[in-house]
Amino acid sequence: MEVSSEPPLDAKSEVTNQLVDFQWKLGMAVSSDTCRSLKYPYVAVMLKVADRSGQIKTKCFEMTIPQFQPQLLANSSLLSASNFYRQFKEIAAVIETV
Amino acid sequence: MAAGELEGGKPLNGLLNALAQETFHGHPGITEELLRSQLYPEVPPEEFRPFLAKMRGILKSIASADMDFNQLEAYLTAQTKKQGGITSDQAAVISKFWKSHKTKIRESLMNQSRWNSGLRGLSWRVDGKSQSRHSAQIHMPVAIIELELGKYGQESEFLCLEFDEVKVNQILKTLSEIEESITTLISQPN
Repeated sequence: MEVSSEPPLDAKSEVTNQLVDFQWKLGMAVSSDTCRSLKYPYVAVMLKVADRSGQIKTKCFEMTIPQFQPQLLANSSLLSASNFYRQFKEIAAVIETV
Repeated sequence: MAAGELEGGKPLNGLLNALAQETFHGHPGITEELLRSQLYPEVPPEEFRPFLAKMRGILKSIASADMDFNQLEAYLTAQTKKQGGITSDQAAVISKFWKSHKTKIRESLMNQSRWNSGLRGLSWRVDGKSQSRHSAQIHMPVAIIELELGKYGQESEFLCLEFDEVKVNQILKTLSEIEESITTLISQPN
């Protein structure tokens, strides 16, 4: 008897992708036309993901340091609560116990 | 001379708020006439226009330089001393405004200068995936992660990713490398 429980497809994104590659860089925005003194570091991520048909797409996004890990910056306010790093640690802890 | 009506206090604070909304937070459409009639109804338009321009210029300069409180005091003091500058009452209102709105304005400036997608949210769950065939059971937990991404002023895009335990740990290792890089960067004197 075959029993498989596929994760239900999310209403917002219909396709679950596999991560093929995760590239990152740490950048520092120094200045811009609207703000001469930007001075903020950010993490830029480039993901290569494969959908169910095997087609590969590239997705790029940026995170501020507080979004990545709030405790790294002394004055960071928790304006955005993504906390990317901590959430992955939680996922790892949970997946280990399942 | 309507100088008395252009003094600081509530109207100026309201004006600065409106200017911040328009200039930094991306909510344009507050007309000069609306501002004047709401906040400074006794001031004629030809006097209000240069006053508005002056306040806009001051706010932009403060935000552009990301002034700390020492720089702010020095800058505002200089503005009170120059010809056609501001009054010390007005300086006090501007100072108070910047101190309470600085973080939010900076956040908006950062968002405006990010032309890639930003991370807007992350949600996840872990599923236990079980397959049973001819009584052999394979237990493979799977993490499903949904990233909410979006460019400034645009709708969110959702990216759904699936990871097994091995992959989660690989990512975790990468993330710790990123953390190390960040720590090195911010511990460097600049």
